[in-house]
Amino acid sequence: MKTRIPLYIFLSLFSLVSCQKLRDKISLQGILMAGTAVEERVQMSYEYYLLYKNDYSYLDATFSEDGGYTFLIGADSHLTTDPGRMDEMLAIGLKDNDLFYAHLGDIADTKPEYYITLDSLLQEAKQRYVKANYIRIDEYKYKRKADQEEEPETFLYDEILFPFYPVVGNHDITHNGWALWSNIFHSSFYEVDVITTGEDGDYCFDRLIFLDSASGTLGKTQIDLIRKRALDGGQNLYRHTFVFSHTNIFRPQFFEFASTFTREETFFLLDQFEKWNVSGVFCGHVHTWDERNYNGVHYITLDTMCEKNNPEPGDYLVRITVDKDGTLFWEPVHMNYTPKKK
Amino acid sequence: MKHTILVLTSLLLLAGSAAAQTYCGPRQYDGVHKDEIHGFLAYGNNVVSGRFFTESARYTRHLTDRWSVSGSQQIQFLKQQYSVDVMGTFRIPIRRSNLYLDARFLFNRWNQWNTNEFNFNLSASFEWRYADIRWGWSLIQYHYHGMKQEYSSFSTNLYMEPLVMTLGIGVNIRPRENWWNVGFFIRNYDAYYYENWNINWGLRGYARLTDAMRLYGEFNVRPAGSLSQLATKYETSLKVGLKYVW
Repeated sequence: MKTRIPLYIFLSLFSLVSCQKLRDKISLQGILMAGTAVEERVQMSYEYYLLYKNDYSYLDATFSEDGGYTFLIGADSHLTTDPGRMDEMLAIGLKDNDLFYAHLGDIADTKPEYYITLDSLLQEAKQRYVKANYIRIDEYKYKRKADQEEEPETFLYDEILFPFYPVVGNHDITHNGWALWSNIFHSSFYEVDVITTGEDGDYCFDRLIFLDSASGTLGKTQIDLIRKRALDGGQNLYRHTFVFSHTNIFRPQFFEFASTFTREETFFLLDQFEKWNVSGVFCGHVHTWDERNYNGVHYITLDTMCEKNNPEPGDYLVRITVDKDGTLFWEPVHMNYTPKKK
Repeated sequence: MKHTILVLTSLLLLAGSAAAQTYCGPRQYDGVHKDEIHGFLAYGNNVVSGRFFTESARYTRHLTDRWSVSGSQQIQFLKQQYSVDVMGTFRIPIRRSNLYLDARFLFNRWNQWNTNEFNFNLSASFEWRYADIRWGWSLIQYHYHGMKQEYSSFSTNLYMEPLVMTLGIGVNIRPRENWWNVGFFIRNYDAYYYENWNINWGLRGYARLTDAMRLYGEFNVRPAGSLSQLATKYETSLKVGLKYVW
């Protein structure tokens, strides 16, 4: 009897890790053993963010006609062989002239071919975006269509940033997925400012904070950077702060997965959002819609836009509208794409 | 620190007096003794709060050989988690095993994040000779202190989590009544918190020092994330305690 109990435990764990389908979703490391992947990801991301800060410097909303702007959010696309939903999200944002896209993680399952598909989609979307918003003024240079200055700011094609901002999700990092993800998106921990014209005609600033919560924790490096105000360039300047995180804070319902943030980290984040004077927090991960207001902060957890999980058309995206006077609205955005039948 | 010295001194003084047999195992009630006191010190490191140091003391009164009530307190220095709890237990002996039904109220003050947490837990524990299992449910409510007045018209600072399952399993290499033991545990709670999905695991052990007193300890690894979220180093702690019964 004494020797049987450890044997049963060993056999159970062995069966668990031997099953290929389960191994694709989880790994033994994910059950008991602790890694430090988040520390390495954040160190790498922050280095990149500092070195290539121009990539994240600002989004210019001063060209909008009504003085406000909108942005489009999607979550958990789990892109594999069928890129229909991701393509639709990119098309909707372009059609409705959203200032930027935010993706809340688990963007693609971790196989190189899926990331090649994703990269192609983003490249094509950038071409459409440039065509819609820029005018080619010579062989190499472009200017914004909305820029009516006599000497407009000009850009090379590579200098035009396609405003697609993702956070990294847990399914993006399994099976060395970080190598694939970071090859396209580079940084999982960064901040972007939005410059807009306020009601009084002066410039005002909103900011976007993208957190790496793919491991269910921010990790020591990220927490230390937050405490050192690495993302607080001008913390009192901001009218609105929006935070994007893969892991959700609040559990949508009893029969849904709870947040995997630990007690301390949950309370740390809720307190940090207060310090950042956050207006909205957007999360994914649980594949279920949830909306609530806690301590003056609006929390929205998005359902998955993945065609495998939600094959029927539905409201899987969210659009946030920031009016000229700073008033915020959100609305669900319908997706029509249905997966191809095999 | 003052609390720690006080608790340890009390425990050592009490150790000299005559007492009932101390059974070994997580709950170990022998059906005879009336009073228990135990305290532990813990040292650990946590990703959010850094190093922390804990003292805790619990007193249990066995009203009958079936019913008992207990209360405890904890101070986690540096992490600034301050806790008190009360618990009522009904024991059902089944041959050489015991089934314990617990009802517990636990209050946590997470001071550095300005949050109060109220935990209500109902759980059942079954203790065999070599293994034990605990299963139950918690209702957890927390609220942030100091919400700005201007938010009160559209917001709340109170959140009630949907029911949270409590699950723990432990195995020992020696039978429960042996004078020493070493075992392995896996669970989603610790002495002063109930987690959702985050799994603690580690080694535990105890040794009977006298008929009335026992030394126990735990090495606790608490990763963040679980299952599809690759577990990541989050908290590690070492706990050493003494239990005295009379």
